[in-house]
Amino acid sequence: MRIAVLLKSVPDLIEDIPIDEESGEILYDEMSYIPSEWDDQALEEALLIKEESGAEVTAITVDTGESDTMLFTALAKGADHGVKLVGDFDPSLPNRQRAHIFSQYLGPQSFDLVLSGVQAIDDIDGQIPGLVAGILGWPHASVVTEVRAHDNRVIFRQEYAGGLVAEIKVSTPAVIGVQAARKPPRYASIAKVRQIAKSSQLEEVEMSIQEVPSLEILRFYKPIASGHAEMIDGDVDEAVDRIIEILQEHNLMRG
Amino acid sequence: MTGQEGLAVFTILIFAGATAYFIARMLPILRVLRKARATDRLDNWPSRLGFMLGQVFGHKRLLQKRLSGILHFFIFSGFVILFIDIVASIGQVFVPGLKLDAALAFIVDLWVALVLVGIILAVYQRAIIRPERYHGSDEKDGYVILGMIGVIMVGIMLHESFYPFAAHYWYHLQVRLDPWEFLGYTLGHLWLQTGMASTPVIAEAGYITGYVLDIGMVFAFLAYLPTSKHLHIFLAVPSIFLHKTRPAGELVPPLTEDAGMAIRTFQDMNWKDVLDVFTCTECGRCQAVCPAHAAGQPLSPKMVILELRDALRQELAGAEPRALAGDVVSAEELWACTTCGACQEACPVFIEHVPKIAGLRAALLEDGEIDKNSQKVLVAWDRQGNSFGQPLRRRPNWTKGLDVAIKDARKEPVDWLWFVGDFASYDPRLQELSRLVARLLQRAGLDFGILYEGESNAGNEALRLGEYGLFESLAQKNLKWLNEAQYRQIFTTDPHSLNALRNEYRKLGFDKPVKHYTQVFVDLIDQGRLSPAPLGVRVTYHDPCYLGRWNRIFDAPRQLLEKMGVELVEMPRHGPNSFCCGAGGGRIWMEEDGIKERPADNRIKEAASLEDVGYFVVACPKDMSMFSAAVQSTGNDGRMKVVDVAELLAQAVGLTVPDAELAIK
Repeated sequence: MRIAVLLKSVPDLIEDIPIDEESGEILYDEMSYIPSEWDDQALEEALLIKEESGAEVTAITVDTGESDTMLFTALAKGADHGVKLVGDFDPSLPNRQRAHIFSQYLGPQSFDLVLSGVQAIDDIDGQIPGLVAGILGWPHASVVTEVRAHDNRVIFRQEYAGGLVAEIKVSTPAVIGVQAARKPPRYASIAKVRQIAKSSQLEEVEMSIQEVPSLEILRFYKPIASGHAEMIDGDVDEAVDRIIEILQEHNLMRG
Repeated sequence: MTGQEGLAVFTILIFAGATAYFIARMLPILRVLRKARATDRLDNWPSRLGFMLGQVFGHKRLLQKRLSGILHFFIFSGFVILFIDIVASIGQVFVPGLKLDAALAFIVDLWVALVLVGIILAVYQRAIIRPERYHGSDEKDGYVILGMIGVIMVGIMLHESFYPFAAHYWYHLQVRLDPWEFLGYTLGHLWLQTGMASTPVIAEAGYITGYVLDIGMVFAFLAYLPTSKHLHIFLAVPSIFLHKTRPAGELVPPLTEDAGMAIRTFQDMNWKDVLDVFTCTECGRCQAVCPAHAAGQPLSPKMVILELRDALRQELAGAEPRALAGDVVSAEELWACTTCGACQEACPVFIEHVPKIAGLRAALLEDGEIDKNSQKVLVAWDRQGNSFGQPLRRRPNWTKGLDVAIKDARKEPVDWLWFVGDFASYDPRLQELSRLVARLLQRAGLDFGILYEGESNAGNEALRLGEYGLFESLAQKNLKWLNEAQYRQIFTTDPHSLNALRNEYRKLGFDKPVKHYTQVFVDLIDQGRLSPAPLGVRVTYHDPCYLGRWNRIFDAPRQLLEKMGVELVEMPRHGPNSFCCGAGGGRIWMEEDGIKERPADNRIKEAASLEDVGYFVVACPKDMSMFSAAVQSTGNDGRMKVVDVAELLAQAVGLTVPDAELAIK
């Protein structure tokens, strides 16, 4: 089974997102980027399938800068190939365009299964797995867990409202948006990533931007808080006094 | 063939047989040693020799457990002294009439008696006292060895006491009972009284039996050694000679290009590591002091060594090699280690447990197997340079609120560079403490600065989690500024950072002097720049592992307390024998699964048993966190207060302590 895992990097939210106050644009160049955590889950699930029933795992990303470490990390974890789709792309690349670039690459390849994170923190115009599946005309499911491959069938689970879980079978090729892997994503040690970076090659494939229907973002801004929580400081006694005071203010005390 | 010739042939055969067998069993071990990695353990041999003699003949470490030390000294010295008997006994067979002079004869008998006393004490210890540290050791082996030594002693007494009677028939010599050989003399008189001495057959049989039990058993013992913990009689002395002389706190020596930190096979260890597993005496002193073991976790440093040894023996016997990390030694054992070093401090034969554990951890880590909380911390160090996962730019936030701003050592020269560390920078409770240290230094007029956002975690714990690459990248980030900034020396408030800067950065070419803030404060008081008024309180002091054991800074914190007029009451476990708080080696971030009693709780109970001691003084930010929690969880809130030594000093020099709760009354 050949599995493609679609990866992307997203802004590290530990830092505040820098916005140009005047234009309301995000200053993409001033942020640091980390692999999207859902993509990490998708990669882990792919590696688990590989360990369980054998598979060839290819990690693929659209190069919007600094994608090498992400791909080498995937190789260090156990992926077989790393593919960098290069072109004139930057981190503001809309998902719809990103999905076209992925699909353009995936189409002629003979992957059986495409996994990606169900979402990312910066999905503005849709989620990658659904978009890719739509473009390629392949079956698709999202918010999926426990993906297992049997011969050329893929079986996975999806949770439903009302406490139901569906076990679903799909024939390949298929695109799946992974919610969580069966195990927490594994660690790739820095030394191993470095060693892989020295000893292996990433495949670079030149891609072009395709015109797609797009949205226009008017501005990004920080919402003004309409109310706020009060943090109660001090030791236990002071905190208790303040809580009682608040309850009294709101007429919530009895007796 | 005469009887004498028969005995000579027996002696030659058993000598040759036992020696050949011994060599045949030792050669494969030697081959493993030769395939292992290099380590220079022959440098500066005169000082190694002096050190070895002190440990071997002074029994310095062994005597820390009184009874064991004494009984071991009896038996050990017997092995040395009774070599005289072996030479004399065999000599008598080949050179009839050979005789020890009175003094040597007396010494031999005296030591036979001492060894017998030693054996009785050893059996008493094993059978009656039954210390927990023996749990997991091969007790049968212990008894077999004691039995063999006992047999040798009986043999010596037998052939010595029958010799004067047998010599007449056997060697045609006239020999008298010698009162200096007091054991032979006493027994000889017994044989005379019972008439056994005058029966040639009995006299000869007694002599031959004694000789065979003595010399025969000595060589049987030699043959038994390679598969026994008693191999240490050959390996312990070299092992002590070959002890580590590089800085104790240096976990990993400079690595070569192709050799990583991970230990997967015995070839990934250095040869001293391999030697260690055969040197282990199974005494369990390491187990007795291990905080993880005391906490009920599956780790015992002794068992790690024994598991490795047994795996290597199986490999030598032709078994398929097993994965050392995760199989031979379980992941649970490996991650339980706090890297406190108490095991190495206790080991009488200077086995280095911690580097092996860290190397095995590195192998687990390479396979992606690590506790999930620690994994988050590793990622945070990689991305933000601190374990809190907070933005790098917030690192100097703790300095806000100081009346006088701290110099930025990246921008202007300073006399002292303060390396602050993660906890002191980010932990809200410890930030207050950092400000207090800053105010004390400002009060003393010390010219100092910090690196602000230029500082990252020092990498001490990353390395101890087995993540050498991360350690290196953190170190490089720090070294960028440590090499560029202008300063004379460094001090740290964090012993873990101190250890990394002092011992681990050396291999990356950094060699500035690194001190602990307690040392700086002592100097400032001596120079009259801080004048503490006596506080008049009774306290106890906890030696942080990375300050005390690994860096031998025991005196400065104590001097500081003395200069503040503080009465120090030592806990039973102090100085090099201090008991870990449980936070080191990355443990502070790991799940507490399977812990029956937290090391910090154990420690606070020890402190609480001291009379009228209201303050538990610490000199490490992690200790502040660990022990403050432990005081609460052990229900000692009202009785004992955890204070940093800087808080006492602030009080003593009359600085207002911001948090009223910190004030000492």
